[in-house]
Amino acid sequence: MANAWKIARRSNVQLPLILVVALAIVVVLLGKAQGSLFDRMRARATDTVAPLLVKVRGPVAGFDRFVGSITEIFSVYEQNLKLKEENARLRQWRNVAIVLQGRVGRYQALLHAVPDPKLNGVLARVIGRANRPFLQTMILDAGRQNHALPGQAVMDARGMIGRVYLAGQRTSWVILLTDLNSRIPVTIAPGNVQAMMTGDNSVTPRLEMVSRTVVLHAGDQVTSSGDGGLLPAGLPVGTVVSDGAGGWRVALLADAAASQDVEILSFSKAPETPPASAQLPAEAAGLKPAPPPPPAAPATGVQINGQANGQANGQANGQVKAPVPGQAASGAANQANVPAAPQAKPKPATQTPAADSADAEDQDR
Amino acid sequence: MVSLERVQTPRFRYLVAVIPMISGLAGVVIANIPISILGGLVPAPLFGLVPVYFWCLVRPDLMTPAVAFSIGFAEDILSGGPPGIWTLAFVLTYALLARQRDSFAGLSGLAAVLGFSGAATFACAVAYFTVAGLNLLSGLHLPPLVPVVSELMMTVLFYIPTTLVVGWLHHKLVGASRSDV
Repeated sequence: MANAWKIARRSNVQLPLILVVALAIVVVLLGKAQGSLFDRMRARATDTVAPLLVKVRGPVAGFDRFVGSITEIFSVYEQNLKLKEENARLRQWRNVAIVLQGRVGRYQALLHAVPDPKLNGVLARVIGRANRPFLQTMILDAGRQNHALPGQAVMDARGMIGRVYLAGQRTSWVILLTDLNSRIPVTIAPGNVQAMMTGDNSVTPRLEMVSRTVVLHAGDQVTSSGDGGLLPAGLPVGTVVSDGAGGWRVALLADAAASQDVEILSFSKAPETPPASAQLPAEAAGLKPAPPPPPAAPATGVQINGQANGQANGQANGQVKAPVPGQAASGAANQANVPAAPQAKPKPATQTPAADSADAEDQDR
Repeated sequence: MVSLERVQTPRFRYLVAVIPMISGLAGVVIANIPISILGGLVPAPLFGLVPVYFWCLVRPDLMTPAVAFSIGFAEDILSGGPPGIWTLAFVLTYALLARQRDSFAGLSGLAAVLGFSGAATFACAVAYFTVAGLNLLSGLHLPPLVPVVSELMMTVLFYIPTTLVVGWLHHKLVGASRSDV
C-alpha cells in the first residue's frame, strides 16, 4: 500500500484532468443539442444485446414478479373480495357498453359520420426495465422491423403505459407516463376538460394547465385527448385523484412494473379514399354525371396546369368523366408525400335532374 | 490462480494495466442490465464508481482521467438518461479524489465506507444539479430527489461487496505487477 501511495503521489494528472473535465462538459452540451447521436448508440447497443436479454428474462421474470407482489401477500383475502365485487359491477357496465356501442354505430351510419381512424397494433414483449434516477423506461422486443416508431403509444390490457421514444431495428425504448420527461395532452371526463399530464418519477403523474374555473372530482376519467395528432384520442389513461395539496394527479390504469406483453399502437390519419363514381349520389340514382365546367379562355387562364390539362384531355378524347372528388387534393398530397386533406370530400350533385338533362341535351347538340 | 511468473510476461502486463477499466465497464454493464430483480422498487447501484474510487486512490497510473471518462460515458450510454451526466459526475469525482488523495487514501474500516459515501454523494450531487440545470434551461421541473438518494444509498450499500471483488482483483492481478507497469 505504501508503495502504491508513492506511485500515486508521483503521478501528475492535472493537465489530462482539465482536458477530460472540459470534454465531459462538451458531451453534456452536445447531448443537449444533439441527443439523437446518443440515442442511436443506445439503440444499437440494445439491438445487440436483445437476444441475451430475452434469454435472461425468463428466469428473472418470475422472481421479479414475486418480489414485486411480496407486499400484496398479506392482503390477498381483502383483494379477492374487492375484485369479485368489482368484477360483478364491470359485467353490468360491459352490457351497457355493448348496447351503447351498437347505438353509436347506427348513429354513425345514419349520419355518414367519418369513422374513427383505425389503429394498427404490434404486440411486443417487455424484455427489460430500467429504473434510473433520471429515466424510467422499459425495453420491448419490437423495433423498426416491426413498424414500431418513435411517438407511438404503448398500451397494456388496462390502459396506456407510455410511448416509444427510441426505436432500434429489433428493440424499442418506452418512456413511461410516470417519467420526468413525459408530457401527454389528456381529456378529463365528464366535462371534456383539457389538461396536460406530466410525469415526475412518482407513481401518479400530475395534471397541469387545468383551467382555474374547472372543478375536478376524484374518480373522473382521464383519456388521451389526441391534441397534436401524435397520439390517438380516447386511449384510457387513468382516474383523477387529489394530491392533498390542492392539486390533482392521475392514478394510472396500467401497471408498468408488472406488464409483460404490451401493444404498440400505430396511429396515423390515413388519407380518405374517395368513393367510386358509381357510389356517388347522382350516379347511384341513375342520373348522368354532371358535365365538366367549360374550358377557360387561354387569355384569362390562370389555372393550375394539371387541372387544365386534365380537362383538355378529357374533352379531346370525347369522354365525359365524372369529377372524382379529392383527386386534385390527393395528387397534391402525393407530391408532397403527405396524406390528403380530409376536406376533399365528395361533393354531392347540387343540380336538379331537370337541369342535368338540359345540360345533357346541350352536349348532344 | 495466477502465478507471479505469468504476470511478469509482457503481454499479461498490458492486460493487467486495463483491468481497472475493464472492471469499471463490467460494473456499468451489470448495473444497467435492464432486468429488475427487485421489481423496480429501487434503482441499481453505481457499480462503475467503485473501481474508479478504488484505483484512483491505489493506482492512479492505471485509473487515469481518460479511463474515468470512459466508464462514465458507458454509464451514460447504457443508463439511458440525459447524455453526459454521469460522464461529468465521474470525472469531477475523480478530480475530487485526485485533489484529496491524502485524506481518502488514509481511511480504513468504517471510515473508508464513509469516505466512499462522500465521493458517491458528490457524484450523485453533480448528476442531480446538472440535470436540474438542464431542466431549468428547458423549462421543465426540477428532478425529484428521492430516486437519486435511493441510488446513492444502494451504491453505498453495495460498496463493501463490490470493493471485496475489486480488492481481490487488485491483489491477485494488478498488485502483483505494480513495479513493472
